[in-house]
Amino acid sequence: MAEQSISTKNTIELATFYVGDALCGMDILKVQEINKLMEMTKVPQAPDYMIGILNLRGQIVTIIDLGQKLGLGKAELSNESRNIIVNTPGEHVGLLVTRISDVVMADPDKIEPAPANMSGLQGGFFTGVYKTENKLIGILDIKEVLRIESENLGRGMER
Amino acid sequence: MSIEDDEILQGFIEESLEHLSDIENDLLAIEESGADIDVELVNKVFRAAHSIKGGAGFMGLSVIQDLAHAAENVLGLIRSGKLIPNPDIINVLLLAADELQHLIEDVGNSNNVDISCHTNALNIIYEGGEAPPSGPKPERSTAVVPQPELQPVLEEIESSLPEQETISETFEDITDDATDDDLVEEHEDDTDSVSAVSQDAGGVTRTRKPSESQKIDTSIRVTVSLLDQLMNLAGELVLSRNQLLQTITSGDMRNAEAVGQRIDLVTSELQEAIMLTRMQPIGNVFNKFPRVVRDLSKKLGKHIDLTIVGKDVELDKTIIEAINDPLTHLIRNSVDHGIESPEDRRKKGKDLRGLIVLKAYHAAGQVVIEISDDGKGLDGNMLAETAVKKGLITSDQAKLMSEKERINLILLPGFSTAKKVTDVSGRGVGMDVVKTNLDQLGGSIEIESEVGKGSTIGIKLPLTLAIIPCQIVMTGGERYAIPQVNLEELLRIPAAKVKERVERVGDAEVVRLRGNLLPLIRMAEVFDIDPTYYDPVQEETRSDRRVNIADRRSKSTPLFKEKGEPPPSPPTNSSQELHRKSKERRLSASSALNIVVVSTGAMKYGLIVDRLHDSEEIVIKPLGRHLQQCQGYAGATIMGDGRIALILDVSNIARMAGLTSLDGCERANELAEAAKDNITKTRDKQALLTFSSSPLEQFGVPLNQVERVEKIKRHHIEEIGGRRVMQYRGGSLPLISIDEVASVMPLADRDDLLVIVFHLAGKDVGLLATGPIDAIEINTDIDDSTLKQPGIMGSAIIAGKTTMLVNIFEIIQISNPQWFEDHVAYGEIEIDKAQAPTILIVEDSNFFRNQVKGYMDEAGFKVLEGEDGKIAWSVLEEHGDEITMVVTDIEMPNMNGFELTEKIKNDKRFSHLPVIALTTLAADEDIARGKSVGVDEYHIKLDKERLMESVHRYAKSAMVV
Repeated sequence: MAEQSISTKNTIELATFYVGDALCGMDILKVQEINKLMEMTKVPQAPDYMIGILNLRGQIVTIIDLGQKLGLGKAELSNESRNIIVNTPGEHVGLLVTRISDVVMADPDKIEPAPANMSGLQGGFFTGVYKTENKLIGILDIKEVLRIESENLGRGMER
Repeated sequence: MSIEDDEILQGFIEESLEHLSDIENDLLAIEESGADIDVELVNKVFRAAHSIKGGAGFMGLSVIQDLAHAAENVLGLIRSGKLIPNPDIINVLLLAADELQHLIEDVGNSNNVDISCHTNALNIIYEGGEAPPSGPKPERSTAVVPQPELQPVLEEIESSLPEQETISETFEDITDDATDDDLVEEHEDDTDSVSAVSQDAGGVTRTRKPSESQKIDTSIRVTVSLLDQLMNLAGELVLSRNQLLQTITSGDMRNAEAVGQRIDLVTSELQEAIMLTRMQPIGNVFNKFPRVVRDLSKKLGKHIDLTIVGKDVELDKTIIEAINDPLTHLIRNSVDHGIESPEDRRKKGKDLRGLIVLKAYHAAGQVVIEISDDGKGLDGNMLAETAVKKGLITSDQAKLMSEKERINLILLPGFSTAKKVTDVSGRGVGMDVVKTNLDQLGGSIEIESEVGKGSTIGIKLPLTLAIIPCQIVMTGGERYAIPQVNLEELLRIPAAKVKERVERVGDAEVVRLRGNLLPLIRMAEVFDIDPTYYDPVQEETRSDRRVNIADRRSKSTPLFKEKGEPPPSPPTNSSQELHRKSKERRLSASSALNIVVVSTGAMKYGLIVDRLHDSEEIVIKPLGRHLQQCQGYAGATIMGDGRIALILDVSNIARMAGLTSLDGCERANELAEAAKDNITKTRDKQALLTFSSSPLEQFGVPLNQVERVEKIKRHHIEEIGGRRVMQYRGGSLPLISIDEVASVMPLADRDDLLVIVFHLAGKDVGLLATGPIDAIEINTDIDDSTLKQPGIMGSAIIAGKTTMLVNIFEIIQISNPQWFEDHVAYGEIEIDKAQAPTILIVEDSNFFRNQVKGYMDEAGFKVLEGEDGKIAWSVLEEHGDEITMVVTDIEMPNMNGFELTEKIKNDKRFSHLPVIALTTLAADEDIARGKSVGVDEYHIKLDKERLMESVHRYAKSAMVV
């Protein structure tokens, strides 16, 4: 699995960040930008993990609370919170993370398949883990994170 | 699909479709003129067919070429006058044009399509006409270099492809066997230069925009001048930006302001210009309807004329594209269901030819499209019956609906009235689809219909979808935008009135608005937002702990308990506490209700929000994928401060709150009984202008008598010749004050005065008054005895103050009696006391009845009175011979004015009696309704002069008879 998802490049750069206490990473090429929190507009009725939308230079960007999406609980906004803006087809989506960490050069060969359940995280959202000297980085499956859960459909119709 | 991508081919397709869109209407025009051939027109069609043929030949599209060729042959005959076009021939030509269109739209497969039926039909006509045409053109044209616009292309190819021997040779090759697709592919390397040429070629032809087609809707034609303008503006913007950057570095605040203004200006101009590029004439859609109507009516054996008005009205491209289908459906409906067959029409004494009018015009910043027919109209009762049968509504609901509501039932999903499913309509796709489509565009639809006379379907559309005016509201600390199209009015119910005006029926809250009950939706509740309220004193938003709007009342409503829905708050102790709190709060400004009354076309409801902000023009931005599932939003927008506001979708909110028009009507009924007294009271409303003369007394005068109110200073009044006048619109306006006539306190000695201008007896006259003035509506609870005196017709309590109602006629009559002598306004007739005409006055309000009676007595007429339609009818039965005319109110208990009039007009004994309606209901539809039941004249309560004028007129004509 891990080998498949990472191309034949010798090293990849991982942008790493903390979601709660968990260290996660993603291919830096998928990141459009990282910004400090701007003023978000709440969207009533939206799924819980969606904390709002914000104006990124004229574009409406949906912000997902990565902590909640991964089942780690609601993120608390602090000075260190950041939005990682991910460029997906047709729109931009922001991932709210607790804080940003380093860029890590990773050898694709050393990425191991994700254990089904790593430190409370739902394994489904990870493509693999990468072990550095002292840390374990969970590599996010962005596609899976951004996939829309259809079970939330029609929340507004309950009344 | 390389062929698809080729720019030359694309150019050919666009041009051909453009030609075809013209051909259709031109052919219809040719058919219209019959033997009287308009050579210009035929030439135009001929040239179009010819160009298509030429282009197709060049592209190697043999099938298209063959078909165009066959059509061209026939057209050649018509052009030379050897063939007289009849509907059959035109039909074949039209079908051929259709086929051509299909072929061109699907160019890639066109060569595999069998078109023999078309070519055969055309060839038969061709051969049936005179032998080979004298003009050699059709013969020659296969081999000849095609239309001028292809010429540059050829030259370009020649220069860019030196390895080709000669271009004419190549061309002949292609035209000969006409299947050389390779040529196109070979040229792919040169796409750039060739495409430039094809664009040039496009520019040579007229600047009309291409006809709509699914395949090419990604490009749009823009006039060069508009592009230039855009370039200019963009240049300006860049300059302004440079200036701005400079000012920011230098920190020159004054200059920054100027630059800011400049950018503001340029941006708005740029916005306008860019919007213009998206605008297209609605004619693009309308133009296809003559054909639709012609074909359909032919099929159905009906004769129908279609009149199109307002082709030039421009709309946003996306809207133009989207209204195509709904409009087609509506037109087909009109042809199929609306217009009757010639037989039926003859039976009904109508013109055999039905008429459909398709009209587009601008109104109030929107585009209105009207489709009206003079067909059989919609029968509300039948629609209601069908709806009940189909289980869409219950029969109880049907009974409660107004005629208009019944007609609009047709918009409900699953409603199709066609008795048999025809090819034309009634394929299960009905008006509801039309409505849904229009809803998506932010448009609305309204149907008006009269049985036997026809129906009119009005569609209102926004000019553009990209920028819309919106009302900004605030709830739960966030701003939301409500599109202005959905906005009916803004309503603020002061804290003290909340209890009075908001009621609970079942689990729904309603507010009484001008006698109607309006369902309410709390925005916070629908969206699950923590309820908050805005405290204008503290200027902050706080969370709200109240559960209901009118909590005290609702708790004791039995309905509430029956519903089995436990009150969300714990009862007894804590609720008492809550009561106390809410009581306090209710009297503060913060517990006033801010209601946005919105309309979704089918229904109206009130949305309760925390605060109302301004109205703003906003740019719609789509919401991300993740939010598509949220129902209540139509999009989002970025506000001036950079934050985002969500745009509300009012029809979906209604759905989310479980509100439908029918529910609303059901709920309204539950309250209707209880509210009946109130409603009857509010029916006979009189709009009054209140003012003062001295600070202690308040006066009122019927608002409809007032022409204008002017603010003046005391020194504007000139006292000349013992009269007071002022200069007004280049003349002298005589001024009077109430105290000159009536014994009231003298006019206050103030510098700021008001002049209320009346128009009486052909003259303007000003009544001096002082503020404060206000326009209010009151019930006719008028005391016409206590304070009655010359110049004062009575009194009423308005806002806790006794208000004297001024009789302006009397005042003028007393102060300037000569006016009415000079003014032989009514063509005054000698009234012999013995045979004075008798007038029946029907009016439920004592006040008005006495008032009108007074006028009549004064003029010397005899008067009979009736308190409502029923009593009036019995008076008529009794004194039928004496009565010369009837003056009736409209809104009355037991039998209203319309019913009375209808009864009178349908009775042989009385049908000759003129009926004058006296009413406060002056809406156009009321007047129309009155006219239809036979009201001879309409007068607004109480315009004495007009009323008396027409009473005299009718009396006179009655006496002559």
